[in-house]
Amino acid sequence: MHSVLTRGNAILAYTLSVSACLTFCCFLSTVFIDYRTHANLNTVKVVVKNVPDYSASREKNDLGFLTFDLQTDLTPLFNWNVKQLFLYLTAEYETANNKINQVVLWDKIVLRGDNAVLDFKNTNTKYYFWDDGIGLRGNKNVTLTLSWNIIPNAGLLPSVAALGSHSFAFPSEYTTSRV
Amino acid sequence: MDFFDSLPTHMDYDGQARAEKLSRVIVTLFGVVGLVWGYAIQQFSQTIYILGAGFVLAGIVTIPPWPMYRRKPLDWQKPQPEVPTKFKKKK
Repeated sequence: MHSVLTRGNAILAYTLSVSACLTFCCFLSTVFIDYRTHANLNTVKVVVKNVPDYSASREKNDLGFLTFDLQTDLTPLFNWNVKQLFLYLTAEYETANNKINQVVLWDKIVLRGDNAVLDFKNTNTKYYFWDDGIGLRGNKNVTLTLSWNIIPNAGLLPSVAALGSHSFAFPSEYTTSRV
Repeated sequence: MDFFDSLPTHMDYDGQARAEKLSRVIVTLFGVVGLVWGYAIQQFSQTIYILGAGFVLAGIVTIPPWPMYRRKPLDWQKPQPEVPTKFKKKK
């Protein structure tokens, strides 16, 4: 502490240590929070086609099309350790080929400060709903689930599934009209 | 140049100790207040800004060798006249 530089160095180092402690306190204050909440999902239009998947094998695979409704209020999820939410909509179903199939159909980033009361009506999916075979036509039990990643200032990066999901069935005939 | 050389730049030992203690107190205090305030308004960025303000204040108060850190100079002995060379040689 005998010169200007050593004093400046000591204060800077101590300030950084304190900021690390404060960040850890921020993490501790939010680590046990339950980030689940309810989401209402519904499907509006559901069709399935059987078309060649040029991005994979050129074989004809099942391709599902659907539009969905989504209502949820994510405002309670935000606190001083949440910068943004990454929402994603997953379809999960069982086929003869695989016990569990999961396809992400849609996603959205909600920043803190954005309107977190979501109300989507008859929304198109963002990503293709390809099956890796012919498992979609007539599938009686496809479950849509909304999940979110919580992006914090400091701490864990949890993936949380919403309470409430929606199950629907694909029609038993391929559609021939354009979608 | 003479003007800069005439500026006193040192702290005495007691002043150094007090400067260090004072800087720790300031930074810690601003950190705690920032944490409470940031939690109250749920904005962690405010916590960091307040801590930064504490850093700047501690820097202003304790980095320059202010006169208040020079109040207890050590009582150095007067320089002694050089030992006569004859005394050395006697060995």
